[in-house]
Amino acid sequence: MKTMKSYIFSLLLFLATLTMYATVQRDNIVKGNKAYSAGSYSMAVEQYKKVVGAGYESPELYYNIGNSYFKLNDYANAILWYERAKRIDPGNEDVDFNLNVANTKISDKIEPLPELFYKRWFNAVIQLFSVDSWATISIIMFITGLLCGVLYLASRVLILRKLGFWFGLGILFIAGLTMVFAWSGYSFTRNTNEAIVFAPTITVKSSPDEKSTDLFVIHEGTKVRLLDNISGWYEIRIANGSVGWLPATSLEKI
Amino acid sequence: MLNRIFISLVTLLIGTANLFAQDVQFTAQSKAVAAVGETFTLIYTLNAQGGNFRGPNIQGIDMLSGPNTSTSSSIRMVNGSTSMSITYTYTYLLQATREGTFTIPAATVSVNGKQYSSNSLSIKVIKNSGSSGAQNQGTANQNHGTGSSGAGVTGNSNDVYVKAFASNSSPLQGEGIVITYKIFTKVPIAQINISKLSSFSGFWSQNLMKENDKLQQTTQVIDGEQYVVADIRKIALFPLKSGRLVIDPLELACVAQVRRQTKTRTGDPFFDDFFNDSFFNSGVANVEKTLKSNPVIISVRPLPEEGKPADFSGAVGNFTLHAEIDKTRLKTNEAVTLKCTISGRGNIQLIDKLNLTFPPDFETYDPKVISDVQTTASGISGNQVFEYLMIPRKPGKFTIKPVTFSYFDLEKKRYISLSSPEFSLEVEKGAGEPGAVMTYSGANKEEIKYIGSDIRHIKVDGINLKIAGSRFFASIGFWLLLVIPLLFFLLFLVLWRKLAARRSDTVLMKNLRATKIARKRLQKAEEFQKSGRQDDFYIAISQSLWGYLSDKFSIPLAELSVESVHEALILKNVNETIISQFIETLSNTEFARFAPGEKTVNMERIYNEALEIISKMERELR
Repeated sequence: MKTMKSYIFSLLLFLATLTMYATVQRDNIVKGNKAYSAGSYSMAVEQYKKVVGAGYESPELYYNIGNSYFKLNDYANAILWYERAKRIDPGNEDVDFNLNVANTKISDKIEPLPELFYKRWFNAVIQLFSVDSWATISIIMFITGLLCGVLYLASRVLILRKLGFWFGLGILFIAGLTMVFAWSGYSFTRNTNEAIVFAPTITVKSSPDEKSTDLFVIHEGTKVRLLDNISGWYEIRIANGSVGWLPATSLEKI
Repeated sequence: MLNRIFISLVTLLIGTANLFAQDVQFTAQSKAVAAVGETFTLIYTLNAQGGNFRGPNIQGIDMLSGPNTSTSSSIRMVNGSTSMSITYTYTYLLQATREGTFTIPAATVSVNGKQYSSNSLSIKVIKNSGSSGAQNQGTANQNHGTGSSGAGVTGNSNDVYVKAFASNSSPLQGEGIVITYKIFTKVPIAQINISKLSSFSGFWSQNLMKENDKLQQTTQVIDGEQYVVADIRKIALFPLKSGRLVIDPLELACVAQVRRQTKTRTGDPFFDDFFNDSFFNSGVANVEKTLKSNPVIISVRPLPEEGKPADFSGAVGNFTLHAEIDKTRLKTNEAVTLKCTISGRGNIQLIDKLNLTFPPDFETYDPKVISDVQTTASGISGNQVFEYLMIPRKPGKFTIKPVTFSYFDLEKKRYISLSSPEFSLEVEKGAGEPGAVMTYSGANKEEIKYIGSDIRHIKVDGINLKIAGSRFFASIGFWLLLVIPLLFFLLFLVLWRKLAARRSDTVLMKNLRATKIARKRLQKAEEFQKSGRQDDFYIAISQSLWGYLSDKFSIPLAELSVESVHEALILKNVNETIISQFIETLSNTEFARFAPGEKTVNMERIYNEALEIISKMERELR
């Protein structure tokens, strides 16, 4: 019992310091925004990075960092942070817009492989909301569905019982579906390793060895998917499906 | 060829006169020392009519041509005696190719059937030391005099050559220079034909001489020798980049007219006149020559970076800018022309566009460029006119920002920026355009013009900070929110089941006990009847009837009335006669209390009625 009490106390203390800390970070963001508006973008990056360094994340914060790097003409970093923002909030229109603009500035124009239509649709639906939004929707739907079940059981009025039954069934189905969406988005961000190329020009090798055959050349700012990792080398795949090996030092994980 | 024929003719004519026994002399003459590459002649002279000439077999020296035979004869009549002399010359043209001492063996000739040998010669060939700037590679300088007096005649490589001169060998980038190609000649030349002109890579070039200009000739004495000098090409060059630029040599072909002594002197004024007449004596040989000028190296200095204006596009010289607009008040869809004139000296033709921004709603066209440029020997000057045609499509007040132009001034050694005044235009709605109607028609609508593209602005509000990696999905809270409502639901389900079961039990019990209770109440009523308590009796009867209905059909007592009873019984498929009898019994019970007559008789009758209808109902419902 005593341990329980101390546990609750420390939790409360933790929450209190957390909120205090959060207000400090909010100040940092405001400072960053001011620096950005004044045109001193490297200052803005510094301020925003403080917040990230303190262990916080927010799609808007990442988006602002991306913007600052863009204004500094550091397109690789801009793309990296936009992609990070996209990870948290996949459907954000502003993030997508700026990411597209930044992608026009880099050297590599890779024609992405066309996805199967149902996959594309599924991804488009998943990207409507963030994982947490889907999870929240799912929870609300689940509870509503259960309430409909209660109505079905408890009501003496025939119409209400019928409504309760069918609505409850439908809403529970939606709850299940949204749960699947949330899970898909979650597993995508969890299991998909992507990275941005940070070397100005780098040759992709056929195997994790400096002496192996040169396959193709990619440039700063290109997004690659990481497939494998062997002793400081990553097996990568670019958007058009080509696969090769790059040293880990030339990449920055999203 | 003609010469030869006439020579033969003359020889035939005078052949008979060749009666004098003369000492036959056959000698060879040439240079003792020659330089490598030099061409020179080897001449054999015979003072008699000879034949069957056999030339020497020369080793180590190239034989370019020969033997060329020529004859000269003279007949003298002194005091009645006629003497005749004849001279045969055999000429070779030789070229020394390598150093060393070479021997030219003797040649043979037969005179009157007798063989004569010439002397042999020794020629020393030395290294070519005096190569001139003009790389005169003439190989066929045939201006040698042939004839008896032609001792030591050699070909001179400096007779004709071409040289290139640059007015300035280290100009600034964009600064004009003039390169002049001059031909130097000691012999008459004709048909100058430029076979290869330099491409002037790295330069913008402008020919300063017209193709058909007559060559201006001057005479010039170089190293004591008189040359005729003429400019054959004059080109203005503007370096487009800095650094060391090489102008390739110019190559030309020309025909040098070389005089040859082929006159056949007879000593007779008539003969001389006859043979030296222009028809017979074409004593001029046309020798085709290829000349090559020297390459010219120009080291171009870059323009200073310091103070270079942003709109500088390479103009170097001295310019002025003038801009004018033909009207400042106009109606929509009327054309207005902005005319910008740049005039001055320098690389004016390289100015191909001006820095000009128009209001975005204006329809503009590419400028009409009129250049009026004079190319003179001293350079290029003139003016370049840019005419911009604009058509405003929307009414309003517009300003055209100043036209700017910058150049590098060679005299002041700095950049100079010129700018025109700002023009303001007032555009009124055109008369031919009924504005209000047009706007509704939609024909006037325009696509939005995108002038630039940029990223969207940062987010300032609504930044939702979370601890990195924290996620609602799959967190404890998420699972709790999922599981707790489910548990509540299951709990509800269980409770509801139990409640329903219990409730259904009480209904069954009541149903089963309905008759029993009714009978008990009837027994009570019987007791009340015996004891004569009339009010209690009727209450008991009424209670037993209503209570029976309530329990039997699980209708709460409060909801019971005569009408509701009727409905409920019909629903239970009870016979209509029994229903009416039951209702009659109920109403009889109400009325019998106040009915006249013997109270005990009434009570007896109601009791029997109630007993009977309950039994009937019991049977009916079974």
